[in-house]
Amino acid sequence: MMNPLDYSKAVTDFWSAQGRALLQAQEQVGRVLAEGMQAVAAGKIPNIPPMPDNLSPEAEDLARAAKSVVGLWSAATSACSRLAATIPSTTDSDGIVEATLRKMMDPRSWTGATGGLDDVLGRMAEGPRFADLWEIERRYADVLQAWMNLRRRSLEHNAVVLEAWLDAARQFSEQLAARNARPLDAKTALTLWTDTANRQLLETQRSEPFLQTQAALIRATTELRLAQQELVEHFGKQYGFPTRTELDDVHFALTELRRELRAVQREQRKPASQTAASATTPRAPQRARRAGAKRGKIAP
Amino acid sequence: MTEARPNPATVLSDAADLGTKMLTGGQLLHGIRDADVQIATTPKDLVWRQDKVSLYQFRPLAAQRIGVPMLICYGLVGRWTMTDLQEDRSLVRNLLNLGLDLYVVDWGNPSRADRYLTLDDYILGYLDGCVAEIAGRASVSSINLLGVCEGGVFATAFAALEPQRLNTLTLTITPIDFHADTVENRLGHGFINIWTRSISPEDVDRLIDANGNLPGEFMGAIFNQMSPMRSLLKYNLDLLEIADDEQRLMNWLRMEKWIADRPDHPGEAAKQWVKDLYQQNKLVRNEWTLGGRLVDLGNIRMPVLNVYASDDHIIPPATSRALGGKLGSSDYTELALPGGHVGVFVGGRSQALFAPAVASFAERHDLPKKTR
Repeated sequence: MMNPLDYSKAVTDFWSAQGRALLQAQEQVGRVLAEGMQAVAAGKIPNIPPMPDNLSPEAEDLARAAKSVVGLWSAATSACSRLAATIPSTTDSDGIVEATLRKMMDPRSWTGATGGLDDVLGRMAEGPRFADLWEIERRYADVLQAWMNLRRRSLEHNAVVLEAWLDAARQFSEQLAARNARPLDAKTALTLWTDTANRQLLETQRSEPFLQTQAALIRATTELRLAQQELVEHFGKQYGFPTRTELDDVHFALTELRRELRAVQREQRKPASQTAASATTPRAPQRARRAGAKRGKIAP
Repeated sequence: MTEARPNPATVLSDAADLGTKMLTGGQLLHGIRDADVQIATTPKDLVWRQDKVSLYQFRPLAAQRIGVPMLICYGLVGRWTMTDLQEDRSLVRNLLNLGLDLYVVDWGNPSRADRYLTLDDYILGYLDGCVAEIAGRASVSSINLLGVCEGGVFATAFAALEPQRLNTLTLTITPIDFHADTVENRLGHGFINIWTRSISPEDVDRLIDANGNLPGEFMGAIFNQMSPMRSLLKYNLDLLEIADDEQRLMNWLRMEKWIADRPDHPGEAAKQWVKDLYQQNKLVRNEWTLGGRLVDLGNIRMPVLNVYASDDHIIPPATSRALGGKLGSSDYTELALPGGHVGVFVGGRSQALFAPAVASFAERHDLPKKTR
């Protein structure tokens, strides 16, 4: 019988084929995108800026990361279908426990358990989408590139998380096997699975691969958001809307004015003797927190 | 694997119990509105406000026994309402019942417009203003300050920079040595310390530049990572377990309400919090500066009570206990409370220990009226 926790060759081959198809699709998308942009440039827009010449490697990295994940995913699916068969079926009050355990054994829920940050990052990065972006190709390409990088980093991180879940499933399976034929009710099975998975996930979370891929994911999210903001800034300037940068300028000025006001109020609170002393020995100025800030500095 | 085979009578009985539990739970949940789930209900009055910061004074619940007023200072991660979650689990109520004149500062809801606020602003600006207001109202030259978590760091810094204005300093679950998570290195403990060291300072800057602030939702996700399996069970089995018990269900919903109230952390202050403290560990090294002034722990000369949770996975005990030996004060007391980070405030056992210890400490160091 095939070991469910050994990465099944047949299924992995299937997913590898899907991975290759994804790679080809990505390349195709990149080619179509480039051709389309060139066509638009020839017909309508003069002096079109060139596409970034490293878009294709990004697509390849994305495809490579996706391939890694689908391989793991197939192993997870295979392993869990075997594990699910070992969960005792009940008709009593343990039914909900059993259903919960079965749900937790579904690998689709696994990336969600530690993927909360991934979801949050995704929502933070993937703001409004824009349909009519062909006139600002460079910025659009930057956004696309950043998006592909984010997908790649997300897949790489999910691969690490999936490996942790597979390890947990392997340990759980071994623990079940060690019990031989002794009965195991659903609640006990759930507790065993929860403890095993929790320990494995916590160990993974402090591992270098987890921390590195998560840091890369956060970085990629940030870069996508910044690329999107640059795009929006362009629109804002074009149509006369206030931009994020302009609002930040206002907020910076307001913060500094309030800071100055607080400093004045604090001076007024002091007894006259202290005020005289502080007038002759001023506090060291607070360092400017904002890059390029040229305003006068003042203690908070 | 052999299945357990309970007898039919047991199965029927269990199924009936489960049905009753779900029905009762469903009816309870259906009948509860968000307005029914109230936290921080102890009566209080707004006494001072600056920008988005509000200072409240709690109305007394007992005769005042301790003359020097006390200010509770929570951090910017989460909100002070944890200290007054519900009537029977409330540090605020317990302290009021023990005769303290009690204040709390609420930092408000920072928005993108507040991204340039720094920790200097919070500590030397707003907190300074709160302390001055309380001292003025009570006609005292120094007050008692109680800091919680990040608010404990605010309190520590204020105590080091303005020692003459504090009568006592009480810290609760407060990190001082941000690298001391490595002392015990317990699995599942100190993940924020590990995580913040895994990202570069440049990444922190870019993250804040992109988002303006450190979103509360982001920190929530980091906290959820610290107990990965809990999130899978929380809204199904855990909820089912308590669904038919109104009191436990309401307790649970109140905690949910507090968790959901997670303000954004102002961006520049977040940069300092992560880079200066979590990454570079400047506080315990006496290298941290605020408003151009060095935060020297040796300047803390007032009596200090340092309360930590013995099973705190967010602020490992060693990170708090590092304060001992760094102070200018010889009057230093540690109190270990059972439970974890939040358990200090809502745990059944800590209710009988925490507030009495704080009140006793404040009473022991209370000043005669003439010398306040």
